[in-house]
Amino acid sequence: MDFVFLLQDVINGVLMGSIYGLVALGLTLVFGVLKVINFAHGSFIMVGMFVAYWAVALTGLHPYVALLLVVPAMFFFGYASQHWLIRPIFKAERDVREPTTVIIVTTGMWYVLDNLALLLFGPDYRALTPNPLKGQMLELGQIFISVPKLYGAVATFATCAGLYWFMQKTRTGRAIRAVSLDRDAASLMGINQWKIFNIAFGIGTAIAGIAGVVLTPFYNVYPSVGVPFDVKSFVIVVLGGLGSIPGALVGGIIVGLIESLGPMYMTATWTEAIVYGLFLMVLFFKPSGLFGQKHDW
Amino acid sequence: MKKLTMIVTMCAMVLAMHLGLGTAHAETVVKVGNILPLSGPSASVGQQGKQAREMAIEEINEAGGIKSLGGAKIELLYADSKSDPNVGVTEAERFINTEKVNVITGAWNSGVTYPSTAVAERYGVPYIVPVSVRDTITERGFKYVFRIAAKDSWWTRDQFAFLDDMQKEFGDELKTVAFVYENGDWGTGFAAQWVELAKEHGYEVVLNEPYPSSATDLTPVVNKIRRARPDVLMLVSNAADAILLTNTLADYKVSPKVIIGSGGGHADPTFLSATGDNAKYVFDIVEWEADVNKPGAKEVNAKYKERYGTNMTGEAVDAYVAMYVMADALERAGSLEPTAIRDALAATEYSGEGLITTYDSVKFDETGQNENAALAVVQINDIGNGLERITVWPKNARREGYTPVFPMPQK
Repeated sequence: MDFVFLLQDVINGVLMGSIYGLVALGLTLVFGVLKVINFAHGSFIMVGMFVAYWAVALTGLHPYVALLLVVPAMFFFGYASQHWLIRPIFKAERDVREPTTVIIVTTGMWYVLDNLALLLFGPDYRALTPNPLKGQMLELGQIFISVPKLYGAVATFATCAGLYWFMQKTRTGRAIRAVSLDRDAASLMGINQWKIFNIAFGIGTAIAGIAGVVLTPFYNVYPSVGVPFDVKSFVIVVLGGLGSIPGALVGGIIVGLIESLGPMYMTATWTEAIVYGLFLMVLFFKPSGLFGQKHDW
Repeated sequence: MKKLTMIVTMCAMVLAMHLGLGTAHAETVVKVGNILPLSGPSASVGQQGKQAREMAIEEINEAGGIKSLGGAKIELLYADSKSDPNVGVTEAERFINTEKVNVITGAWNSGVTYPSTAVAERYGVPYIVPVSVRDTITERGFKYVFRIAAKDSWWTRDQFAFLDDMQKEFGDELKTVAFVYENGDWGTGFAAQWVELAKEHGYEVVLNEPYPSSATDLTPVVNKIRRARPDVLMLVSNAADAILLTNTLADYKVSPKVIIGSGGGHADPTFLSATGDNAKYVFDIVEWEADVNKPGAKEVNAKYKERYGTNMTGEAVDAYVAMYVMADALERAGSLEPTAIRDALAATEYSGEGLITTYDSVKFDETGQNENAALAVVQINDIGNGLERITVWPKNARREGYTPVFPMPQK
């Protein structure tokens, strides 16, 4: 009996953890390339959730079909945000080694987006309708597997694989990697670093959109929904290593497993303390995280 | 000549005005100072209290005012506390020293009520508290402070009373109980009282689990509930987590015999739309619900809704009732002496007009707490008009024709 519950918690931990990984993926990508901590990342997820919500509510399409709309819309949203809001600051602070103003800009975007959503949609908690995935559970004897979370985990691995392929095999992907390694050297090789920044920020935002689509079938949409995911993303990204794609995935699964297995032995409040304790330990003993590159720091 | 006529006319007018005012002065006016959060974070609830007071006083004045005082009319004065204790204290001082009010009521925020009642006590001015839940407001040995609403600890008390009554009525036996609550002040406070009450009522506590309100996944908590197999699941939740818990419980087919919430997130207007059928049969404790089966309640609520556009809330009902209780005390006091009003309030046993609460009469104990104050329990169900909150307890307040679903059907 206990083994059944253990297995149940492990399955849930891995599924939820990989979705956390997806949530953190955009943040780690943007950091890896631009070296910018995007405080608006949670708000981007919120925007993705609202776009997915409205796409489904207005057209009645399957939530996952909404990806066809969400991904390009969020890509251009991110592309434009970087181009119009962040690039000017970068240029103005060209000679500053640590351009902190960018952090203030992303924090500003966070407040603007959250409050704009509050203004437009009110504080209501919205559940996706129609939602063909609602309450779908696979029942294997005593073990229950949430179908929307299973799809979410599949989407996470597909996104990671796709991103990995893109970064390794395409010309743009190689250019992104070159810029993330040394933006000046890349510029000298004829890479337009501003365009690469735009694309990388766009991809990061599009991934936040995918995370939004994955979350809406089992999570409610409301203006401040990004905040808890934002905090979680930071923990995961630091745990896995800033800028590392596999790091985000592994970090997410570690957090998911702690959250899921912890309550077997203690209260749920304590597991949160453990997650943050781990966060501090990693910062203290291995600031580059599990998969981070040393030269970032 | 023209000038003279004008002066004479003006003098006559002034004189007439004076005479007119003089006759108005002869008629006694009872001045009631109301301290409410009319702006700031609790403004909406302050407005509800103001509207309910105005409606009640209009009714009382139209029915002839306070007859033992020669048909004296009641006049309401307002002070905006902005939910700030300091403002509450200065406004209480102003009401007493400058406005010379006969009675004070307020102040909704426990934090404002607590110090402002102390001012009234010092000056010996009767202070009626319609709603403010903090227990200690009436536990300081004050003589001039009277509270209409239930206090904090009575919410948990009534949850257990409800369980007792339901078991008696429906014959099912409940043995084990699980407590799951947000880990803030509110949740942990409730849980501490639950643990005591569970012991008194002979339940076995199989789970006592706080969770962070910001949790993004409550499946682990739900699995813990599933493992503990409680008969009764008691919850304290904010909106996001109440929704998440309700949906996850349904996903994992966890069905205790009773699930009971503690207001808050379960009473949030978006709770029903975000959970849908998953919320079916869940019980929730509240101060008042618009469908309560009490004489006059429907009419009063309809009148309020017509005027102000919303159903009455628990806060509005307590404010409304407080005005009737005050008028009754003034009637029996037959004087505006503070001690006479105070003694009349202390001797209150009111069950007359305007008492649309779930309980049958208002009676203050020696601390000034309305000892009959009680809460109501609603069940969420769909009886043909979509999901709604239906009053089921206390039995005499139950919606007519509704039989509670107890225990919840197994999923």
